[in-house]
Amino acid sequence: MVGERKVVPRLFMTVLLYAFVFFLAFPFLWLIFTSLKSSSEIMMRGGSLLPQQVTFENYLTAVREERIVGSALNTLKVSVASALLTLLIATPAAYVLARRPKGINQPVIGWILVSQAFPLILIIIPLFLILNRLSLGNTHLGLVLVYVVWSLPFVIWMLRGYVQNIPVEIELAAAIDGANHLRIITQILIPLILPGLVATGLYAFINAWNEFFFALVLLKSPELQTIQINLARFRGIEGLARWGPLAAGSVIATIPTLILFGFIQRGLVSGLLSGGVKQ
Amino acid sequence: MRATFRTVLAGLIISSASAFAQEPTQLRFVSLAWQEQAIASVKVIVAAWNEANPDIQVEYQQVDWGSINDYLITSFETQAVPDVFHYESTQIKDFGARGYLTDLAPLISGDLANDVVEGAWATVEGENGELWGVPFLWESRIVLYNRDLLEEEGIEPPTVDDPWTWEEYRDASLQLTKDTDGDGKIDQWGSAVGLSSPVNFVLNLSIGFGGQYFYEEDGRWVVRVGDAEKAFLHLMTDMLYENPSIAQDGVGLSGPELFPGFFEGRYAMLPGIGVWARQQIVESGPQDFNWGVLPPLKAETQNQGSSTQTLSIPAASPNQEAAAQFVEFFLNSQNMATLAQGDWLFPTRTTSFERPEFQTQEAGWNVATESAKYLTMANWQRVPNFEEFSSRVAQPIFQELFANRITVDEAAERLEREGTRVLGR
Repeated sequence: MVGERKVVPRLFMTVLLYAFVFFLAFPFLWLIFTSLKSSSEIMMRGGSLLPQQVTFENYLTAVREERIVGSALNTLKVSVASALLTLLIATPAAYVLARRPKGINQPVIGWILVSQAFPLILIIIPLFLILNRLSLGNTHLGLVLVYVVWSLPFVIWMLRGYVQNIPVEIELAAAIDGANHLRIITQILIPLILPGLVATGLYAFINAWNEFFFALVLLKSPELQTIQINLARFRGIEGLARWGPLAAGSVIATIPTLILFGFIQRGLVSGLLSGGVKQ
Repeated sequence: MRATFRTVLAGLIISSASAFAQEPTQLRFVSLAWQEQAIASVKVIVAAWNEANPDIQVEYQQVDWGSINDYLITSFETQAVPDVFHYESTQIKDFGARGYLTDLAPLISGDLANDVVEGAWATVEGENGELWGVPFLWESRIVLYNRDLLEEEGIEPPTVDDPWTWEEYRDASLQLTKDTDGDGKIDQWGSAVGLSSPVNFVLNLSIGFGGQYFYEEDGRWVVRVGDAEKAFLHLMTDMLYENPSIAQDGVGLSGPELFPGFFEGRYAMLPGIGVWARQQIVESGPQDFNWGVLPPLKAETQNQGSSTQTLSIPAASPNQEAAAQFVEFFLNSQNMATLAQGDWLFPTRTTSFERPEFQTQEAGWNVATESAKYLTMANWQRVPNFEEFSSRVAQPIFQELFANRITVDEAAERLEREGTRVLGR
C-alpha cells in the first residue's frame, strides 16, 4: 500500500523530468533536424520537425565554404588556452583574497566587482591599440589575453567563494607539518577546490568559445578566425540567412562543448553545489 | 677566405634585394557578399586579379552585414583598415564626412565614371563633390505574385506598358482576400508586407506619392509629414485595418519571413519586397510554384528611392592607388554584371545593365529590370543624423501606426516634432 502510494508521485516526477529535459533539448533537436533538411523544406510553412528527406549537403557547404572545421580548431585552441591561463592566474589570486581579505585587498575585491560592469564597446579601441603596440594584434595569443582578462573577475570571485569554504585549519595543520605556501596550494587546496576549478574553467572556456565581437575586431586574417565569425557569415540582410548551412555549422560548433560537458559533468555538478553553500 | 666571404656577402645582398623587389603589395578586401552564388563570383574575380597581378595580391575577407558597422568603426579608429571594403551608400556618406574615406574622384577612370548611371553616383557624393565610394549594386522594391491565384480569380496582371496604380492594386488585393473554406475566417490574403522594420519601405515607396519627409528650411533640415507623405500611410492602414486585404501577420515579420505563407497560397502578392527576394523563391520555393513579378505600382509616379551598395577605400589605407586599380578591375563591365546576378540585384554600369541576362523573362528579370528605371536617390541620404532618426524616431512610430495603436495624424505629428529635434542635433 505504502509502495503504491510512492509509485504515483515518482511516476509523476519522472514524467515531469523527461518533459523538462525535452523542453531544454528541443532547440538543439530542432537545430539538428534543420541541418538535415534541404533549403526548400526549411522554408515550408508548418513543415514537420523531422526532415522528410535527409541531406548532408548543409554540412558539406559549411565545411567547404566557411572552413568550419579549421575555425572550430582555432576556437578550441583559443578557448582551452584561455581557460587554463585564467585558472592559473585566478587560483592564487582567489586564495590570497579569500585568506587575507583586509587591507589593500578590500578595495581589490571591490574593483573586481566593478570591473565586470565595463561595457565592451568602451574598451575595444584602446585594447586594440595596446595589442597592436605589443605586436599582438591579429594573433591568437592577443585574443587569449583578452579573453583571460575578460573572464578573470568573475572566475576570481567564484573561486574566492570556493576557497573560503575550505576550513583554514586544514592549511594550518599542513603548515605545522612543514608545508610551504606553494605546497599548501598545490597539494592541499587545489584537490579540495577541484570542482570549483572545473566549474569556473568551464565558464572561461564557454566565454571564449561563444565570444564574437573581440574575435571579429582583433583577427583580420581568414586563417586565424574563430567559428563564431565564420558562422555569422551565413546571415544575410533583412532577417535572411542560409539556414541550412548555418544550422549545420552550429551543430559542429556545439560538439566540442558537449564533449567537454560529457567528460567533466560530474565535477561540474558538485562544483556548482559546493560553491553555492557557505558553511 | 676573404674572397669567399665577399662572394657570400654579395650573394646575400643580391638575394635579399631581389626578394625585397619581389615582395608584392598586399591588399585586404572586405566583402559583404553572403549568398552562395555571390560569394563564388567574388572569389572568382579576386582569383583572376591575383593571377593577372602578381605584384598586387588581394586577400579576400568576408564580414557579415550585421557586424560590418562595428567592424569598420573600430578599424577606422585604430587605423587597422582594410584597403577596400564593401558597404552601402547611406553609411559611407557619413564615414566620408567624418574623414575616414578617400575621395575616389581623382582615382577612378573616365570609363567607369561615365558608365555608372548618374543617379547612382548621387548616392555616394559628398558635400563638396567628393566620391566616397563606387556604387555598383542597387535594388528596387518589386511586387511578387502568385500566378495561379490571380488566374483563379480572373485577374489579369498588369504589363510594363500599362502598370497598375496603387488603387487598382488595392482593388485586386481586396478581390483576392477571401475565406476559402467557409469557416468565417479569412485564409487567403490579397497581400502581405513585412513591417517589422518599416522605415525604408515607407520612405522609399512614399516618393512615388511625392512624399519627401525631409525638407530644407532656412538652411536646416526638418521633417514634414503633409498630404503627400500621409497618402501612403493612409493607404497602408486602410489595407491593414479599414478594408483589410493585407494580412496582419506581417506586422511583426520581415519580408522574407512571409515566404512560407506565400508558397502555401496564404498570401497572393508581396508588395514592396526587395528585388533580391526572387532568389529565395528560385532556390528555396517549391519546384511547381507559379510566380511572377509585377511592374512598379504607380501613385503620382512609379518612382522609388534607393540606396546603393558600394566599394570604398579608407583614408588610412597605405595602398590607395593599388586599391583603386583593384576596384576598377573588380567593377569592370563583365564583373559588375556577374556580381549583380550573383546577388540578384541591378548593376549600376549601363553596359552591364544592358546585358541579355538582365532582360530575360527567367525569374522575372525583365519586369524587375523595368523597376530600375524608376530608382532615384532618396533625399534622406543627405540628411544629418538619419540613422538616429530612423532607429529612434521613425521605427517605433511606424511600428505603432501599423499595429493600429495610433492614427496617421498622431504619427505625423510625432514624426515632425521628434524627427526635427533629432535632425537638429
